[in-house]
Amino acid sequence: MAMIRAFQARYPGSNPGPRIVVKMEEQTEQAGKKSFAGFHDKYYKMLLVIPTILIILSLSYIFYFYSQHNDILRKDVSLTGGTTITVSGTVDIIGLKNALQNLNDVSVREIYDLRTGEQVAFVVQTTEEISEAKGVLENFLGYNLTDENSSVEFTGSSLSSAFYSQLRIAIIIAFILMAVVVFIIFRTFVPSLAVVLSAFADITMTLALVDFLGWKISSAGIVAFLMLIGYSVDTDIMLTSRLLKRREGTLNSRLFSAFKTGITMTLTSLAAVVVALIITSSFSDVLQQIFSVLTIGLIFDILNTWVTNAGILKWHVEKKEGRR
Amino acid sequence: MAKISWRVWLLIVALALSLLAIKPSFETGVIIKSVEPNSTAFEAGLRAGQIVKAVDGEKIESIEDYSLALEEFPTNEKVKLTIQTKEQAHILFTNKTPEVTIGKIPSTRIRFGLDLEGGSRALVQPEEKVSASDINDLIAVTTERLNIYGLTDIVIRPVSDLAGNNYMLVEIAGATPSELEELIAKQGKFEAKIGNETVFVGGKKDIASVCRNDASCSGIESCFPVQGGEACRFRFVIYLSEEAAERHATITSELGVNITEQGRYLDEKLDLYLDDKLVDSLFISEDLRGRVTTQIQIQGSGSGTGREQALDNAQAEMQKLQTVLITGSLPYKLKIVKLDTISPLLGERFLYFIFLAGLSAILAVALIVLIRYRKIKSSLALLFTSFSEVLIILGIASLIGWNLDLPSIAGILAVIGTGVDQQIVILDESRTRQLSIKERLKRALFIVVSAYFTSLVSLLPLYWAGAGLLKGFAVTTIIGITSAVLVTRPAFADIIRKIEE
Repeated sequence: MAMIRAFQARYPGSNPGPRIVVKMEEQTEQAGKKSFAGFHDKYYKMLLVIPTILIILSLSYIFYFYSQHNDILRKDVSLTGGTTITVSGTVDIIGLKNALQNLNDVSVREIYDLRTGEQVAFVVQTTEEISEAKGVLENFLGYNLTDENSSVEFTGSSLSSAFYSQLRIAIIIAFILMAVVVFIIFRTFVPSLAVVLSAFADITMTLALVDFLGWKISSAGIVAFLMLIGYSVDTDIMLTSRLLKRREGTLNSRLFSAFKTGITMTLTSLAAVVVALIITSSFSDVLQQIFSVLTIGLIFDILNTWVTNAGILKWHVEKKEGRR
Repeated sequence: MAKISWRVWLLIVALALSLLAIKPSFETGVIIKSVEPNSTAFEAGLRAGQIVKAVDGEKIESIEDYSLALEEFPTNEKVKLTIQTKEQAHILFTNKTPEVTIGKIPSTRIRFGLDLEGGSRALVQPEEKVSASDINDLIAVTTERLNIYGLTDIVIRPVSDLAGNNYMLVEIAGATPSELEELIAKQGKFEAKIGNETVFVGGKKDIASVCRNDASCSGIESCFPVQGGEACRFRFVIYLSEEAAERHATITSELGVNITEQGRYLDEKLDLYLDDKLVDSLFISEDLRGRVTTQIQIQGSGSGTGREQALDNAQAEMQKLQTVLITGSLPYKLKIVKLDTISPLLGERFLYFIFLAGLSAILAVALIVLIRYRKIKSSLALLFTSFSEVLIILGIASLIGWNLDLPSIAGILAVIGTGVDQQIVILDESRTRQLSIKERLKRALFIVVSAYFTSLVSLLPLYWAGAGLLKGFAVTTIIGITSAVLVTRPAFADIIRKIEE
C-alpha cells in the first residue's frame, strides 16, 4: 500500500518539527507577556487608583450607613435577640406573611428540596419571644408545633448583644494578630503593610456591599468575615514571598508566575464556595450566609491582591532596586 | 515501585489511626439510650448501651421495627416479653412498653451536635454576675434535680465568654421534655419535713450555710469492715437560722425514741424533699430532741467491696446530700438567654446536604485543577489530600469526643478551601524550572507555614467569643490546618516530587 508521510525520524527525541512549534508558541506567549509587561510597567501605579476609589467609597458608605442605622451592619435575630422557628411541611408563604404581620420585624423564608424544587419546610424569624411567635404561627397553621415537626431557636437580647460585641472584638484581635504575624514573617514595613492593607480592603469592600444589598448578618456571617482574613492573606503571602524572597527571573516574570498560582488558588476557592453556596442555600441560613460573604470577599480579593498588593509591592521593589 | 518517603508513611499512619478513631460499624439493631432506674426493664437487666437484636423472636433492624414489635402495649394484663440483646435474652413481665429510650446504632464514632442530631439546648445565666465556682454549684444542683425527673441523656457544663460572663449550658439529646423551660429556669424547691410538718426549707432564711470542702466540719470520719466489704462514714455540718432551729426543737420535742442496734433515734425521720419528691430520709439522733441548736451534724455512709470504692461512694453520697441541702438557696435568679429545640427530622436532611455540598465542592476544585494543569495524577493527588484532611479532622474530632455542630462543619469546609490553596502553591512551586525540586518545595512549605500561622492566630479569638457557641468553627479549623501543615501537605509535596521527577 502506498503512503504519503512527512519526514519522521526513528526516535521521537530527534524529531525537530514539533519542537520548533513549541518554541514558537513560547515566543508568541512571551511576546504577549512582554507587551503586557510594558503596559503593566507603565500603568500599574495608575491602576492603584481603582482600589483607592473603591476603598474610599466603601468607607464613606459604611460611615453613611452608620449614621443612618447607628451600626455598621444590619443584624439578624442571632445578634439582636429573637426567635427562629423552622417548621417541616408546606405552607402558602404569602398567606403566612400576611398572617404574621403583627409580629415584630418578621421574615419568612422557604426551604426546598434541591432535587425536586418542592417546598419541604419554612422558616419564620422575628424579634419576639418564643411564646408570642409560636402562638401566632400555631393560630395560622391550625396545628400545634412540637419538637417533632419543628425546631425553635431563641436567643435573648442580652446574650445576643454580648455575642455581637465579642465577635467584633474577636475580629479586631484576629486582624491585629494576623498583622503581627505578617510583620514577623516579612520583617519589612511596606510589603507587610501591603498585605494587611489588602486584607483590610477585602473586609471593608465586602462589608459595604453586604450593607448595600440590605443583607441581615448573623453571628455566622461575622465568622465568615473572619474566614475572609485567612483566605485573603493566603494569596498575599504567596505573592509577597515570591516577589521578595526570590532572586531568579525578572520582577515581572516573578509577578506573572505568582499571578498564575494565585488566580488558580482564588478560582478554586471560589468554585468550592459557589458550589457549596448553591447547595446549602436551599436549607441552611447559617451556611448560606457564610458562603455568600466568602464569595463576595474572594471576588474583591482578586482585585486587592493583584492590583492593590501587587501594585504596592512592585512600586516598593522598583524603588529599592532603583536606589541601588 | 518508588520508595515511599517517611512523610507519606506518616500520612498513611495518620489516616489509619483516624479510621480507627472513627471506627465505622455495621451492626444492626437498635441501641438502648437510657433506662429508667428501678423500672421493670431495669430489673430485667436492660442497661444503656446494650444493643437490641430481637423482641419476642422478631428481628429488630430499625426503630420502626422496634415500635411495631411493641405495638400490643399497653395490655390489660402483664405478659411475658423477651428482649434479645447482643449478649443475652432479658425476660420482662409487664403490661406497658419497657421503660427505655432507644435510638439508632451510630454507624461511626463521629458525634454530631444538637443542631444536626436534634435535641434541645439551653443557655442559662444568673441575673447577676457570679463566679465560676457559683456556676459549678448551680450545675451540681441542676444535675441533681434533672436526675430526679429521670432525664439522663443530658450534658450540663459551664461556659464563659470573653467578657467574663459565666453561663450554664444544658444540652439534651433527642426528644425535649415539655417542661424543660420550667425545670431549668426555676430554682429547685427544697423542704425538710418531719411527718407532715416542715422543719426548714431551702433558702438563706432557714439554712444559713452548708459546710463543704472544709475538713473541720465536713469529711469522711471513719471506715470499717462490714459484711461483704467496707463502709465509710461521712459527716458534715449545716447551720440553721434561729427561727428554723426553734421550729426544729418544737417539732422534735413531741417525738418518741426508738432504740435500735445502731443507736437511739427519734421515731420519726427527717425527710428531704426536692420539688416535692422524696430524695432522702435521715435518722434523728435522740440528743436533738427538743433542743434549740443552729448547728446540726448530718451523718451517713457509703459502702463498697473495697476500701477505695467505699470511700468514693461515701464522698458521692455526701456531695449529693450537700447539693440537695443547698438547692433553692442559690442567692440569685436565673434567666434562660438561649433556648433551642431542634427537630431530629430536619437535622437528618441537613447532614445529607452538607455531605453533598462538601463532596461537590471538592470535585469542582479537582475539575479546575485538572483543566489548569492537565495532569490526572496531580489532580488525583490533590483530591486524595483533601479527603485525607477531612478524614483526619473527623478522626481527631471522634477521638476527643467533639460534637460536630454546624459551625464545626463550616470549619471543615474552610479547611478544604485553604487546603486546596496551599496545595496549589506546592504544585506551582514544584513546576518552576530553576533550582532543585527540593529547594522549590522548601520554598513552597515556607509559604504554607506562614499562611498557617496567620490563619491560626486569626482563629484563636473565636475560641472564647460568644459563650463558646461558635467554638466549633475554631476547633475544627485549628485541628484541620494544624494536621494539614504537619502531615498532609508535606506528604503532598513528596507525592508531587515523585510525580514530577
